[in-house]
Amino acid sequence: MVLKNVKLVAIFIGLLLGVSNVFAADAGTATAKHVVDKFQSELIVVMKNGKQLGYVGRYDKLRDSVTNSHDLNKIARIVVGKEWEKLSEEQQKKLVDVFSRLSIASYAHNFKEYGGEAFTIDSEEETTRGGVVVYAHLSIPNDKDVKFEYHLKENDKSWRIINIVANGVSDLALKRSEYTSILQREGFDTLIAKINEKIDNYSKL
Amino acid sequence: MNRLHSGNGKRLKTSLVILIGALSLGGCATTGEPQTTASKVDPNESINRDIFAFNDVVDDYVAKPISDSYKWVTPQFVQTGIFNFFNNLKNVNVVINDVLQGKFQQSAEDSGRFLVNSTIGLGGLVDVAKDVGLKQNDEDFDQTLAVWGVPQGSYIVLPLLGPTTVRGIPGAILDTAANPASYIGMPIQLVQMLNARANAQGSLDVVKEGALDPYVFIREGYLQTREHLATDGKSQATNDVDNDFADDAASPKSATDKKAATSTSSTDKANYALRLTAAEQSSNSFGGVTQSFDNTAKSFENASSKIDQLEKQKHSRKAK
Repeated sequence: MVLKNVKLVAIFIGLLLGVSNVFAADAGTATAKHVVDKFQSELIVVMKNGKQLGYVGRYDKLRDSVTNSHDLNKIARIVVGKEWEKLSEEQQKKLVDVFSRLSIASYAHNFKEYGGEAFTIDSEEETTRGGVVVYAHLSIPNDKDVKFEYHLKENDKSWRIINIVANGVSDLALKRSEYTSILQREGFDTLIAKINEKIDNYSKL
Repeated sequence: MNRLHSGNGKRLKTSLVILIGALSLGGCATTGEPQTTASKVDPNESINRDIFAFNDVVDDYVAKPISDSYKWVTPQFVQTGIFNFFNNLKNVNVVINDVLQGKFQQSAEDSGRFLVNSTIGLGGLVDVAKDVGLKQNDEDFDQTLAVWGVPQGSYIVLPLLGPTTVRGIPGAILDTAANPASYIGMPIQLVQMLNARANAQGSLDVVKEGALDPYVFIREGYLQTREHLATDGKSQATNDVDNDFADDAASPKSATDKKAATSTSSTDKANYALRLTAAEQSSNSFGGVTQSFDNTAKSFENASSKIDQLEKQKHSRKAK
């Protein structure tokens, strides 16, 4: 009798483990898409309430959306390329901080109104280096669709966006050229000053 | 010049790419100081920056004021009509280049688009074809040359005309020769230019608001968009390679060098080889256009062989 109970418990535990495994596997494969999906729908919500929220309101709403879906640390590092090693720890921290604020600010500035736009996720593909590319498009009424590719990498068991390619233009490559060029030509302090100036402008426009 | 297109830049300025429509007209404020050449594709960066700055001044003091007044006096539906009219004429070029690139089905669709808009669409003023579901394709002689394997060559900023590449110049000459709009006569062409400039305003605003270094921003945006168009959006593999490259660049130098030297993985070897040739090229390059032409050709070959390798690996992994 006792043995039978133990058996039942064992089966029960086995079932539980099995079920949780299924869930884990599910989460593992689906999250890259989920991350993009969640981010896109949060953007649309902010756009719909854009006017009432105002710039500050949109910035506050988008802060969590952007930081939870993007790997801003990694993006900031890639964007300065080899110059990253030449920066002191303090400078690296400073860069990540202003870069993150600029990213959120540019979303808050650009996604301020809603005119019937809609995001659709088309497909998903694994890359050779263990990343995932999520293909999506933005439909704009009376205008051409904008094709998006979201490049994601796994960081601490969660998928994060590290690059967005819009109609073939890679945001990461564009920023990398700009940032390394400024660092080489004009130095770290000018780069930070320019980023701060942009953040300031976005808040006023 | 004929490449100017759309860029309505409406409410939503999300797409960085619409700015490309504006590129032929140069960008915005820039600093004109001396620099170190940062990009392999741009060996003449200092001259280009000067011309960019010049174009910018011309745009600020001549083109923008005229275009602003044009926008102010011209109703939106007239602007759209004029855009549609010239865009429709451009379809003659699109069809020619469809054929030259062997896209026969697309050439039939684009011919249909041209015929529908030229007749039911009142000589092209109304884009009826869009509502029928015929989308506007974007083909030109520069893309055809790219498909034929002519390397892009270095990036050049032309006075008044704006960004192009070594390959883009013969491309633009052929585009102008093939486009019926070129034979209409000056006053109407002026309207075309004005209308294009007015349409580009939204995109130029994006550059002004978002770019830390407008010169680099426009150069990268232009080159990437041209690449995207020439490959019909199939260049995502290169994007992926770019990312990997970026990853390498971002990790500590000594570690990557060690990894590249000791690793047995062929991907890493390919990476290392590519980096070596890149280093060689940048040390050898002294800014001659022909020289950089060859270098670009070489790096193109390197990149494509690397992509092939990656592809093979993918296949073999799948096979396992």
